[in-house]
Amino acid sequence: MRVPILKLHNYLLISVQVELDDQTALQFQEDLLSKIHKEGSTGVVIDLTSVEMIDSFIAKVLGEVVEMSNLMGAKVVLTGIQPAVAITLIDMGIKLEEVPTALDLEQGLEKLQQELEG
Amino acid sequence: MEPSIIDFIYKRKQLLVEKWLEEVESVTQDSAITRIPEDIYSETNREFIDVIVNTLHVSPEEAKERLRSFVERLIHIGWPLSYFTRGLQAFRRVILEEMKENTQAEQAFSTFGEVENWIDGIVNQLVDEYTGSWENTLNLQKLALKELSAPLIPVFSHISVMPLIGTIDTERAKLIMENLLEGIIEHRSQVVLIDITGVPVVDTMVAHHIIQAAEAVRLVGAECILVGIRPEIAQTIVNLGIDLGKFPTKSTLRKGIESGLEVTNKKIVEIE
Repeated sequence: MRVPILKLHNYLLISVQVELDDQTALQFQEDLLSKIHKEGSTGVVIDLTSVEMIDSFIAKVLGEVVEMSNLMGAKVVLTGIQPAVAITLIDMGIKLEEVPTALDLEQGLEKLQQELEG
Repeated sequence: MEPSIIDFIYKRKQLLVEKWLEEVESVTQDSAITRIPEDIYSETNREFIDVIVNTLHVSPEEAKERLRSFVERLIHIGWPLSYFTRGLQAFRRVILEEMKENTQAEQAFSTFGEVENWIDGIVNQLVDEYTGSWENTLNLQKLALKELSAPLIPVFSHISVMPLIGTIDTERAKLIMENLLEGIIEHRSQVVLIDITGVPVVDTMVAHHIIQAAEAVRLVGAECILVGIRPEIAQTIVNLGIDLGKFPTKSTLRKGIESGLEVTNKKIVEIE
């Protein structure tokens, strides 16, 4: 199972619609980085609206993906984290402090634009 | 119950009732009953004794039902439970007194047991009815408290306020967090102001809960501003060494709303 990555001008859009297991998450990390490399994208939005559960490994991978993408010159915004997911993450002590977040895709794109311009 | 005992009670019903009324007058002198008008009180006494005696000759189910409807009415007007328990104790005393004079010793023990069982059954049902109604009230109050506990109020587009009043414990903190996050999604808020003006004490635990809530808010993609920090709260926070440096704090709700408007690129202007 692969997570589809869509290109929109300078941005990459990812809507995660499958339950992320360890393998899928690692595959996704690899796919995203090579896509950024290939397209030279400057911004990435990862939408997690339909993800109902994130365990500590997935959270770590997501955090790393964000850091790696930043290294490659692409800003990442996580959007649509569900309340239940947020509570679980906080309970596990995972704060994703360096990761910008937004309520939904629309606000995520706005935030990217702001950050890239500012 | 043995027919002979029932018969015994029936024959002396008038006498028993008279004696009981006398007895009950003296035992209920001190309770809240004294506030109830005389005529209603004696009428209720009559009714009560009728209900008790009636339990003897109708089927158990019907007896239960009658007792229930009678008690429910009295619960509704706030009649104290002690009236019933004392009344029944008095009734038992009266019956046993009467029996002592009129029955043989060997019979007395079995009669005593029968009467005991009968009265105990009624007492149990009464207590059940009462505690049931209390539990009901308690649950309703809990629910009301929960509803009042943590409302999220949308004040401008993308700006919401959650005023917190009263002490925060772990259970309430959980509720606050849930309401906060659900509300953010529902109102599409970008900024939430948590107003702690009404929180009397901020200790490490409360601060911890607030910090957690603020971090969860950030994860779902909004920003949290803590407002209503009174001087003494600021003092406690610093003295306890709690680090609230990671998210913005303001002294009043007004200042919080101003900075919220700034974040969402809005401002309030005077019309000419």
